[in-house]
Amino acid sequence: MAQAVFYYLAIASVLSALLAVTRRNPVHSMLWVLSLFMHVAGIFLLLGAEFLAAVQVIVYAGAILIFYLFIIMLLDVPDEERGERFGVHWKFAAGASLSFAALAFFAQEGPLAKTVVPEAGAGGGEGSVAEMGRALFGPYALPFEIASLLLLAAIIGAIVLAKKKTGES
Amino acid sequence: MAPLSVVFGLSCVLFGIGMFGFLARRNIILMLISVEVMLNAVNLSLAAFSWHWQDPRGQVLALFVIAVAAAEAAIGLGLVIALNRNKPGAAVADITELNG
Repeated sequence: MAQAVFYYLAIASVLSALLAVTRRNPVHSMLWVLSLFMHVAGIFLLLGAEFLAAVQVIVYAGAILIFYLFIIMLLDVPDEERGERFGVHWKFAAGASLSFAALAFFAQEGPLAKTVVPEAGAGGGEGSVAEMGRALFGPYALPFEIASLLLLAAIIGAIVLAKKKTGES
Repeated sequence: MAPLSVVFGLSCVLFGIGMFGFLARRNIILMLISVEVMLNAVNLSLAAFSWHWQDPRGQVLALFVIAVAAAEAAIGLGLVIALNRNKPGAAVADITELNG
């Protein structure tokens, strides 16, 4: 059962991603990316990462994607519907990405891969949310604070970039 | 549930699709959304490894990736707006001011 659900989610997410990068209309692209994010959130649930699935839906689908949609509708991108979708070099791009994906996949076996013996998992079967909270506020408290600092810097940077320069001209 | 290599293969395929979109599309907003697809593929592989080895650290790392993706979206789209003020449209072929 879980296997069938996983294969459905995998095929649907690959199709959504393909449609997202090939559609001519940017709004259609965004909607296919939304479908991709929802399906990946389902895969997260199957992998036992409930908190990650929730964050995926709330932050990615709810905040980042809506932000992109806002910008597309704000800018009224005129030429995308008429012009060519891809640059002239799209065949090279396809070759490069295909070979990268193949390389990444086959690197997990053979001489490139090191056999890693993981430490005994810290999880005592209490569910991933409690585990993650303990990890985030225990050993990973400093990276957590640095992430918040990064987001603050991004907010300030976005305001500075998008602000109208009143002093000049 | 599928074995780890299948989940990792799915992650590789999604990353390849995102990379193709980033290299081939000519609209700067669609290039940025392709970067999001690539980041999501990486998150998928991190979650898969975390599940396989029963270790929460993969999920913690994926959470930081999401935070960086949010920061990247804010800065990237701020740049798009600043560019659009000088020259309407979002085609990267038009952005040649730094040409030597």
